[in-house]
Amino acid sequence: MAYISQFKYYTNNGVAPTDANFGSYQYVSLFDIVNNFMLMYNGNHSLVNNEERFKVLFHAKRAIQELNYDAFREVKTLQLTVSDDLRFILPSNYVNWVRISMYKDGYIRPLTENIQVMSTIQYEQNINGTIVFDINDNVVYIDPSRLNEDRLDGVQKSIYLNSSNPQNGNLGWNIDGAWYFSYTIGARYGLNTETANFNPTFRVDNKAGVINFSSDMREESCILEYISDGMEGGDDTSVSVNKLFEKYIYAYINYEILDKKLGVQEYIVTRARKDKRAAYLNAKIRISKIHPGKLLMNLRGIDKIIK
Amino acid sequence: MINSVRSTVLSILNKNNFGYISPADFNNYCKQAQLEIFEDYFSKINKQINFENVRQSGTDYANLVKKISEDIEYFSSTNFLSHFANNIFYMPSLSTTGDSWFMTGKILCYTNELATGNTSSVVVNQLVDTAGAFTSKGIVANDIVVNVSTGDIARVISVVSATVISLTADIFTYAPEDYLILESASVKEAEKVTHGKVTMLNTSNLTMPNNTFPAYTLENSFITVYPSTVNSKGQVLSQYTRYPKDPKWTYVSLIGGEPSFDQSQPDYQDFELPQEEEPNLIIKILAYCGISIRETEVYQFAKMEERENDAK
Repeated sequence: MAYISQFKYYTNNGVAPTDANFGSYQYVSLFDIVNNFMLMYNGNHSLVNNEERFKVLFHAKRAIQELNYDAFREVKTLQLTVSDDLRFILPSNYVNWVRISMYKDGYIRPLTENIQVMSTIQYEQNINGTIVFDINDNVVYIDPSRLNEDRLDGVQKSIYLNSSNPQNGNLGWNIDGAWYFSYTIGARYGLNTETANFNPTFRVDNKAGVINFSSDMREESCILEYISDGMEGGDDTSVSVNKLFEKYIYAYINYEILDKKLGVQEYIVTRARKDKRAAYLNAKIRISKIHPGKLLMNLRGIDKIIK
Repeated sequence: MINSVRSTVLSILNKNNFGYISPADFNNYCKQAQLEIFEDYFSKINKQINFENVRQSGTDYANLVKKISEDIEYFSSTNFLSHFANNIFYMPSLSTTGDSWFMTGKILCYTNELATGNTSSVVVNQLVDTAGAFTSKGIVANDIVVNVSTGDIARVISVVSATVISLTADIFTYAPEDYLILESASVKEAEKVTHGKVTMLNTSNLTMPNNTFPAYTLENSFITVYPSTVNSKGQVLSQYTRYPKDPKWTYVSLIGGEPSFDQSQPDYQDFELPQEEEPNLIIKILAYCGISIRETEVYQFAKMEERENDAK
């Protein structure tokens, strides 16, 4: 019997969302991985024996997480408009960003990260500089902090780049899209390369769960390309992994269990580790899509002189 | 087999005028002997698997694991568990499933609810609900129908129409009665978890029990199933090994004579062990008889036979 009928594949049996099964054949579900492992690798005559299923589940999920971090090429995207607070709230399944772009006038403009602090908390201090406490002995915060306020008001200086303008390369203030410059006396030394970009800049505040932008990003559309951990927000029925990595996941679970088990000979653990490594490399090569046709195209151009 | 065992036991005892065993005593010894042999199967199979792992066991006729498995599987039973409260269910027992549970094989959970409602009329072996809309709910043959009011369960034979489903059993005898239909394809095996682990498991971000990977704990004669949404009768099916039924040699009393074997009595129960266990049963019963009639020779003979058998 087929895994899924053609009708169900193309129409999901008429049930919304009708595109739910598109491309599903590339993937194997978490349930199948755990089930197959318990059936094929765990038993009276296997190296893995009398192991609880929840341990297998744990290692399977960890394997999927690790693969999502550095092996899969599955980048998720989210587009949002940055509002007055100059923040982009990270999606619920966000783990790390790949690229952050501004979408303007039909163009996607990749933005650069500003490694300088863009947002901070600030304690209330009295005139002597000592920290002020409330009646519960907690510090009193200034919200927004001076730094945040300046950024929101656009009063932080940034470099202006426009070769056709005499102010090109000078530090100025971008307020509501208009640039203001102080009177230049003497010379400016050095260039702040982080901000030496015509486009807005950003900094990801992981703990706060937001991306902070410079003031020129206000009301602009932002596209975040990011990676997740593949856990689909904790919904086990949606967790799946590309079939090219299926063997690796079994090898990973096998190794993790044998490695932590009491009394397993070291040569068995080593064998399991090598299996895991080999499966990983194999899968990486497969998923990198190196086709003979592609190689042929490259080889054809081998003698071409680049002028 | 029970009459043959009794005849042999009596003939050995009578050979040297060792005494007489009453039917009631004989039945008690039969129960003990059968239980001993039954429980021994589990240590035997473990021993055989260890032999297999060191390549000291063969295949085909030398496959003793297969033989012992078959002996054990005779006592395998599958039943829906009665619901106690919330996500707690009764383990199989004489009062709930009609047999005594010895060891759990697996606990299966049906987690996907297809339809609920109440019956609008009574038709034999059918579920009738004028507001059912059964045809659009994905109900197929073998799905589970539960009478929520009584706890009775049947399987779907076919969806006759949007309002009628034909069932394997007559579980709706008056209307209205609440019903619940569960998808049989949604079945997932629950994992046994110790009490030492279950609290941590329930707070684990990666392995918390859910409808895909349910779990259960055992306490007294109840199981608690996780997640707690598994909370109605019909949602938990158990496959388990039951205890053998107590053997009973039944008879017709003859005035002034020997009791005469009568297997037509309603409480008659033969041994549930395979035929080849007859010598072992006789030896074990003889050992009990030896203690009972204080004949050390009988007891020692039986024990010697047993040792020889074990050494084989």
